[in-house]
Amino acid sequence: MKDIYILGIESSCDETSFSIVKNGVEEISTVISSQIDIHKQYGGVVPEIASRAHIKNITFVLEECLEKAQMTTDMIDAIAVTYGPGLIGSLLVGVECAKALAFLYHKPLIPVHHIAGHIYANNLVKRLEFPLISLVISGGHTELIYMDKDYSFKKLGATLDDAVGECYDKVAKVLNLEYPGGPKIDKLAKVGEATYDLPIPLNDNSYNFSFSGLKSAVINLVHNEEQRGNIINKENLARSFQDVVIKSLTKKTMRALQEYQVKNLILAGGVSANSGIREEFEKLCQENKINYTCPSLKYATDNAAMIASAGYYAYLDGRRADLTLNATSSCNLE
Amino acid sequence: MKVFYIDTSSSYLYAGISDNDILLSSVKKNLGSDMSKFTIKEVENLFKEASLESSDIDKIIVVKGPGSYTGIRIGMTFAKIMAWSLKKEIVSITSLEAMSVLETSKVIVPLIDARRGFVFAGIYENNNVIMKNQYLKLDRLQEQLASLKKEFVYIGNQNKFKLENFIEYDPDILKIIIKYEGLKGENPHTIEPEYLKLTEAEENLKGIHYDN
Repeated sequence: MKDIYILGIESSCDETSFSIVKNGVEEISTVISSQIDIHKQYGGVVPEIASRAHIKNITFVLEECLEKAQMTTDMIDAIAVTYGPGLIGSLLVGVECAKALAFLYHKPLIPVHHIAGHIYANNLVKRLEFPLISLVISGGHTELIYMDKDYSFKKLGATLDDAVGECYDKVAKVLNLEYPGGPKIDKLAKVGEATYDLPIPLNDNSYNFSFSGLKSAVINLVHNEEQRGNIINKENLARSFQDVVIKSLTKKTMRALQEYQVKNLILAGGVSANSGIREEFEKLCQENKINYTCPSLKYATDNAAMIASAGYYAYLDGRRADLTLNATSSCNLE
Repeated sequence: MKVFYIDTSSSYLYAGISDNDILLSSVKKNLGSDMSKFTIKEVENLFKEASLESSDIDKIIVVKGPGSYTGIRIGMTFAKIMAWSLKKEIVSITSLEAMSVLETSKVIVPLIDARRGFVFAGIYENNNVIMKNQYLKLDRLQEQLASLKKEFVYIGNQNKFKLENFIEYDPDILKIIIKYEGLKGENPHTIEPEYLKLTEAEENLKGIHYDN
């Protein structure tokens, strides 16, 4: 069979990224331009600033990606782009770029759901085995997905309010940790003890999650302690918080694996870089004889390689968009 | 010389293709919030109508703003990608410059609603810039115009401020192309929108307050 080269484009939040992936598994080149230093001073991503930075970067990143691959656009078989969900202004720059390339070079255009991309980040580590369950955890998402074959998704549950990464960032803010605070909480948690009592959120029989209550509990706890003149032990609070998050995530995920009789678990999304979460899943999967994969750290956060990989399977599935493809801030994976 | 022109800075898509100062195809359409959806499809139609391939174009003129932030980025992304990938010459003009292309002996005042009583505007007379394009309060613009003591016309889309001497903008795309096609080519990597205004977050961080 002829080799298929997919150009992936990702711009859903604050990373401008292009990548070329061969046959869905072999990364030829990936370039990621992160805006983290721009947004740091605002304590989070400012959508309009992100959109402005994307358009500044776009041809630089594309050029570098093609040069690294020693390829030209006409050698690409199809163009895959994140069309949603995400920040609408940011997404639009990537989508317009993809449509422009598809028009200028008469190439097929493949719309890719951002979450599908995160799941396929694992395909660049190890070919996905089905059926599988994927726990997608990031700054914008917390979802449990069931897949029985390539590019077929069934959502089992999702967060009802804040995404887990969002909750990490807000807790980090109240602890005066610099944005993005998630990795800093993970680091503090390693040396802390779970001495603070926090509620396990949405401890029910659904596959849904909830993190806004936990976030409020931490914020209230910090304010109460401050009012009493007590000093917060940041390490211990980070550990107490992270333990509750892990309990909530692992409990529902392990139950889903059992109920659906699935032997493959993959983690996906930026929060899958969290070492506490990784270690606990690794341990539980070993105990329960589950094949466990998580993306390598460079593919855990937003990147276009995962979009190109997912795009390959969407391409094989015959999915195409025409030049009226639009970006959307929220859309269904199924 | 074959020129491709695109302006997505308002709710209207204005685009056209010319060949040696003859307009081969053009479009003027109010796409409203569907600009992102239909712009490239409309561009495809333009090329079909002109019986040209995108690679036949020698020069791209893109309107870089000010205006709708999202709108500007749609045309600009397309123009940048086209210029960079097909190695075509690209030049940018402001939306206010495009609007100032008008047959009149009066002073021309292109203006775009920028909300909260502010406008993006410039003052032009016989190809000279009397007031450079800026973000300012409408009152302040009117004061400047009064002090000029000259006859003038406003030009813009929909007369939201109910101004007298207002002309509804209906671009003569060929005239705009002829006026600006001689501009020196710019680097497609560094060409970018002209917003004329920082984002609110940047204004707050830098303590900038527009009170003029």
